[in-house]
Amino acid sequence: MTEPAVTVQNLTKVFPIPFRRTKLVAVRGLNLEVAPGQVYGLLGPNGSGKSTTLKIILGLVTASAGTTKIFGRDSREVGSREAVGFLPENPYFYKYLTGAETLRFYGKLCGLRGKKLQARTDELLALVSLEEASDRRLGGYSKGMLQRIGLAQALIQEPKLVVLDEPTAGVDPAGSREIRDLILDLKRRGITVLLSSHLLAQVQEICDRVGILANGVLVREGRVEDLLAIENQTELILENATPEVLGQISALLDQTKTRLVEQRRPQTTLEGLFLEATKTSPAPRDS
Amino acid sequence: MAELQHRSFSLGRIAALTGNTFTELVRLKVFYFLLIFALLLIGNSLFMARLSFQQEFQVLKDVSLGAMSIFTSLLAIVATAQLLPRDLEDRTIYTILAKPVPRYEYLIGKLAGVLLLLGLSILAMSALFLALLFVREQMLMSETLRETAGLRPEQVQAAIRSLEESAFNANLLPGIVIIYLKAALLAALTLFISTFASSNIFTIVVMVFIYFIGHLQATAREYWLQEHGGGWLAKTFLALVALAFPDLQLFNLVDDIVAGTAIPPGLFAQTAVLGCVYTSVYLFFAWVSFHGKAL
Repeated sequence: MTEPAVTVQNLTKVFPIPFRRTKLVAVRGLNLEVAPGQVYGLLGPNGSGKSTTLKIILGLVTASAGTTKIFGRDSREVGSREAVGFLPENPYFYKYLTGAETLRFYGKLCGLRGKKLQARTDELLALVSLEEASDRRLGGYSKGMLQRIGLAQALIQEPKLVVLDEPTAGVDPAGSREIRDLILDLKRRGITVLLSSHLLAQVQEICDRVGILANGVLVREGRVEDLLAIENQTELILENATPEVLGQISALLDQTKTRLVEQRRPQTTLEGLFLEATKTSPAPRDS
Repeated sequence: MAELQHRSFSLGRIAALTGNTFTELVRLKVFYFLLIFALLLIGNSLFMARLSFQQEFQVLKDVSLGAMSIFTSLLAIVATAQLLPRDLEDRTIYTILAKPVPRYEYLIGKLAGVLLLLGLSILAMSALFLALLFVREQMLMSETLRETAGLRPEQVQAAIRSLEESAFNANLLPGIVIIYLKAALLAALTLFISTFASSNIFTIVVMVFIYFIGHLQATAREYWLQEHGGGWLAKTFLALVALAFPDLQLFNLVDDIVAGTAIPPGLFAQTAVLGCVYTSVYLFFAWVSFHGKAL
């Protein structure tokens, strides 16, 4: 049986609040699984526990309860991160390094050396279209360029799983589209992607599966098309329909020249689902 | 995916972190303080023109070694205090620790970067100081030979020997090593405090306090023992104080060196080992505080 790329079981994270007796429950009893090769979107409003969940998966934060695994290895083990690349939200890399130096630095942390490191650096600079800027210091990079060099460093050791925290936050529409295309390219190459985002239209476009978090609880989870389908409705898509035809459509459909192009279940938008799911979320957050 | 066998300890990863920390500090232009050191020495030389050569060499050594000690200590504290807060604020720490890098390697790499910077700084300062010492010695030697031209050879030899003894002596080198170890200790302690400090200003303020307490604690300890006797409770308490506030006076061998007193090899070795132990203990404390820290 294929090992899931990410397994989260009964995950809970409680942050004590200094000088108060209350505690903040950031994540509560979370269970989720990401299959290899999938693009999985973790959605939720600010403070819903998305970043905390990602950080626990990456071993940056310790869970209060539950387990997280990466390809079957406990994610607290440093060695499990051989298989992971991570791009945090709004990252600022070392401004004094050039694009190429940045990639070489992260490559060395992953054990790459010599010609192999140089080849990988060149390959990634080409992938994120930063060859021209490779010798410029990051202090002079635009936001979109920083996101792209960030994505390149996440890919330096050819990971099987890439974790992206708000990969398009603060990036203009063109830059955002470039990052979307890069994620789709990763998917084509069989790399698993776990991302959190607020850009719901984009998530709907690229994710195979989504989970919606609200107040630390997973309130919806599943394949995007399943979640968006509305069971008790039918959608008719008509071509060249006149207002009269529309008025009599249900009765006269068989007798008019209007062509029935497609008959299927209509869908809501991911945005609609997200707002509905987070509006009806449970739970006060303090315990 | 590239099949890379993960090793729990890698000198390659530490070297990458060390090199990056060193580059960061160099590009922050912390070396500017060397310019101040050079100006101090030049200013000092102008002032010394009016002194006898023994006094001149004594003042030169006193000022140079004292300045070296203060500058390296300050550099150790200020350079180290900002490393962790900056990485946390810029979130670069996430990208580093999300790679297969154990947290102890991250800390070792950061500290090693500072120690490399301190080492090069102290080498540059020593080179400047010894060069000045040599130049002044040669100038005074010519003057002495000119002034003693009519005297007997024994008298000339005695004058030259006296001059040479006042200038360079081998004790300067272990003295400089001890100054470096004191700075290393302060860097490790600063790193430890920065693992739980709320800001780098807090770290620097705490370290300034520790620096002064560290220099005064030997006197306070003697007074305490005189007043309260040397029972095991008092000794345990004093040992804990010595751990929290290192006895920096032990690393202050400048006065002896300037006075021309030889540093016994035993004392040098003992002080050097103490410096290394303190540095290692503080690095271990830093790891204890940092290894489970939520980032």
